[in-house]
Amino acid sequence: MIEFQNVSVQVAIPQAGGKNSSKTLLEGINLTLEEHRVAVIGANGSGKSTLLRTINGLVAPSSGQVSVNGLDTVKDGKKVRSQVGFIFTDPLSQLLLSTAVNDIELSLRAKIKNRGERRERALALLAERGLANTAEQSIYDLSGGERQLVALTSILALEPDVIVADEPTTLLDLKNKFLVGRALASLEQQLVIATHDLDLAAKADRVLVVHEGRIVASGVPQNCIDYYWELMSK
Amino acid sequence: MNKVFCLYVPGDSLLHRLGVGWKYAVMAAMVISGVIVSAWWFTLSLLAISVILVLLTAVPPRFGLQMSWALILVAVLLVAYQSFTGKPLTGVVIAGNLIMAVYASRMLTISTPESVLIDALISAASFLRVFRVKPEKVGLAISIMIKSIPMLLDLFTGIQQAAMARGRGRNLAAIVTPFVVRTVAYAQETGAALAARGLGE
Repeated sequence: MIEFQNVSVQVAIPQAGGKNSSKTLLEGINLTLEEHRVAVIGANGSGKSTLLRTINGLVAPSSGQVSVNGLDTVKDGKKVRSQVGFIFTDPLSQLLLSTAVNDIELSLRAKIKNRGERRERALALLAERGLANTAEQSIYDLSGGERQLVALTSILALEPDVIVADEPTTLLDLKNKFLVGRALASLEQQLVIATHDLDLAAKADRVLVVHEGRIVASGVPQNCIDYYWELMSK
Repeated sequence: MNKVFCLYVPGDSLLHRLGVGWKYAVMAAMVISGVIVSAWWFTLSLLAISVILVLLTAVPPRFGLQMSWALILVAVLLVAYQSFTGKPLTGVVIAGNLIMAVYASRMLTISTPESVLIDALISAASFLRVFRVKPEKVGLAISIMIKSIPMLLDLFTGIQQAAMARGRGRNLAAIVTPFVVRTVAYAQETGAALAARGLGE
């Protein structure tokens, strides 16, 4: 379960003359997320990514508290990150080593010390996702969809309880969007996903609409998506 | 894109069977001696040996010996600059050592899986525990550095092309400024990716 208690995030913006002003990215967020699949929708710069990044402590709230399964994302950051896997928009930012199998091995390094076992497990995980042929390929030679699936496999290798995905299909073509969308839909873990893909959001159990740093709608997907359409067409 | 180090190519060549420690030692000996001796004949001899070593990995020569345009440009500029200052042989030594170092490291990366390279680095860096430095972090840092070099070369080429498209291809500031800004952004993204995976904490 993910809980936001009166969470606000502000950042300092340097101004000429040495003075700083502040910008509010999130304000007064109170939420409890228990649903299996939660979609977060909103315009660019609305605060979706910041909201997601507070869930695994990549961004610390300026005030208030975010907790995952009772753990504070700031005080217990390391434990939280072991339970919350984060998928970035651009998988090239996320993949840390040169080939798919090496990157997954990196995720397994803490759990499996034996090199041979680790490699076998990494190859098995890739095969489970239909990526066996990509194992030894350079991450630069993979398609966008393959890269995102390898990134997802790397995160799943850490066996997290929650997956947070920040616009994972934004850079993908339609075919790869479906591929990654299906992979995300099949996850057993709780999934919180920020997206501009309203078809993907419609399949969630709950949708949150973020606008100017606030949650302006939350609930059944179709109602929230209709509200979002209305908000954006004003 | 990855034309600097080349990736591991599975095989059964002599170099594939040679222990990773030996390969690191050969590479280090070649690079260090090339810098210390600093003689054109010595550098060219090492360059010839490094080419033979790459060919001994049994990969197709066109793959093993390919060179990125950015590196060729750097080598040409080095020779040109040193010639301009009246020391053309120094230019040959510097450029030759650079290309030799690339081929020597390529001999290592083509014939050794990345995970074996990292494990060897971690093992070699284990003495750093005395200074409270985790060898695993050293291994990871070097691996990320290796992965980042082709990425940064590609970034530089992209920015250079964007500047040329706007008629500012010769304006160094128009290329270097966005390159530095985007390199810092890339470093921050990599840091976030490490934190998100619970690595480096």
